[in-house]
Amino acid sequence: MNPQLEELACLYVLDRLDPHERAAVEARLPRDPELAALVRELELSLESRIRALAPVEPAAGLLERIESRIDRDERMSAAAQLRTPAPIWASFARWGIAALIAVSLGTLAVEYLRRGPAAGQPYVIIVGLDSRSSALALVPLQVRSQDADASFMQLASLAERYWEKPGDLPVKLPSSGQAGHGYALFDPASHQGFIAIKQLPAVEEGKRYHLWILDTASGRVRDAGVLPLAGSSTGLYSFSVTPDLVTKPDHMGFFVTAEDTARSGAGLPSGKVVLGDRTPF
Amino acid sequence: MSYSPSLAVRSPDPGLRSPVQKQPDNAASIEEASLLARSGAGDREAFRLLYSRYSAPLFTLAVRMVGNAGDAEELLQDAFVKIWRNARSYDRSKSRPFTWSVNILRRTCIDHLRKRRRQPVTAPFLLDAADPGRAGAENARQAAETHEDAERLRDALSDVSAGHRRALELALFSEMTHEEIARQLGQPTGTVKSWIRRGLLGLRETLTKASP
Repeated sequence: MNPQLEELACLYVLDRLDPHERAAVEARLPRDPELAALVRELELSLESRIRALAPVEPAAGLLERIESRIDRDERMSAAAQLRTPAPIWASFARWGIAALIAVSLGTLAVEYLRRGPAAGQPYVIIVGLDSRSSALALVPLQVRSQDADASFMQLASLAERYWEKPGDLPVKLPSSGQAGHGYALFDPASHQGFIAIKQLPAVEEGKRYHLWILDTASGRVRDAGVLPLAGSSTGLYSFSVTPDLVTKPDHMGFFVTAEDTARSGAGLPSGKVVLGDRTPF
Repeated sequence: MSYSPSLAVRSPDPGLRSPVQKQPDNAASIEEASLLARSGAGDREAFRLLYSRYSAPLFTLAVRMVGNAGDAEELLQDAFVKIWRNARSYDRSKSRPFTWSVNILRRTCIDHLRKRRRQPVTAPFLLDAADPGRAGAENARQAAETHEDAERLRDALSDVSAGHRRALELALFSEMTHEEIARQLGQPTGTVKSWIRRGLLGLRETLTKASP
């Protein structure tokens, strides 16, 4: 074998090739038994040498931490993947699922809580929702992520933290038993948010659940898209809105209605409110 | 003799005279490829088995690359998460499962080193055979045999020139490009690539020679 090909084989095993060089070697491997044999021998040599090193054992419990992180990442990844807008969401909504869904009927009495962050300090809006009341809080952030994806992950981490530990939510809602309830997080800087819903009743045939965003100051309502139920009654969903939707972020409200599936495009809600309150303040 | 690579160093088999004899066999590689495939399909038990086989050698490498166990453990965690995520894309025709996993760990460590702007710890990898005191030898005879094996391996590896060894170590464990390695070693880039080739081919030959 010529030295050039040997060199390619060595650099391939050491993962030191450019992507196109690597692809070329990979394409050649199936039709060049001599090259394939050399690559295998070099891999074996390196592997044998590594395995002969005096071993250092990682801490006990690391596997459990890895699995826990995999579980967490997979939930967040599922949410992120579903951020791609569906056509029906028109121009301003994106969705994602992390788990299941939920609903409840009810009129919400509105409790308005505010925790004003310091001037210039980043914050997120959190709105608690259940069948009897809703509450809004502004929660300061220690740091602001610099790009949209990092902001999304920051928000997703917060949403998941509240999902796992609802007691940490800054908005306290009365217990609603088996009725649907949830909460929404919204980052006014990135115009992205999450809505978590638990124990919604199964949607009626011919209906689907829509999320609506309400500017509580003006009463203006925008369709944020269809909640993808996927046979579930509980779920954590992401969404995003166009920057012009809300002029005052702390005037945001959220509600869910059951709309006819025949309904097409964005418009005004006509179905029954199943979660949240559509009444302007 | 059947052989489980994950147990080779931790619990040397008295029937195997040399560490270099303990080459991972094809059966083990096929089994590990199967574990990767099953992991790719979401089989968590297969992933745990793979972890039991790979965690010690990969952690050993990570410690050598970044120089401390704390960072190495975080990086090992990152690497295994990537192994889980990417297991579906593993292709047996392109590399052995161990090589594939090592490369994931290496890239993870190199990213870390670049972010930290730290130099890698390139301990003398090629001349550092298993230390019998830490190899889990069950008795003095076993320890003595392992020590003899290590000595034999050291002797054999001394045939690989220092320059070739250093080039190979930097290629394996540093975040440096070939051009940067060339600058560090004071050689043209072409020479460095040649040294890396000769270092790895030399390793293959010495391991073959060291096997009785």
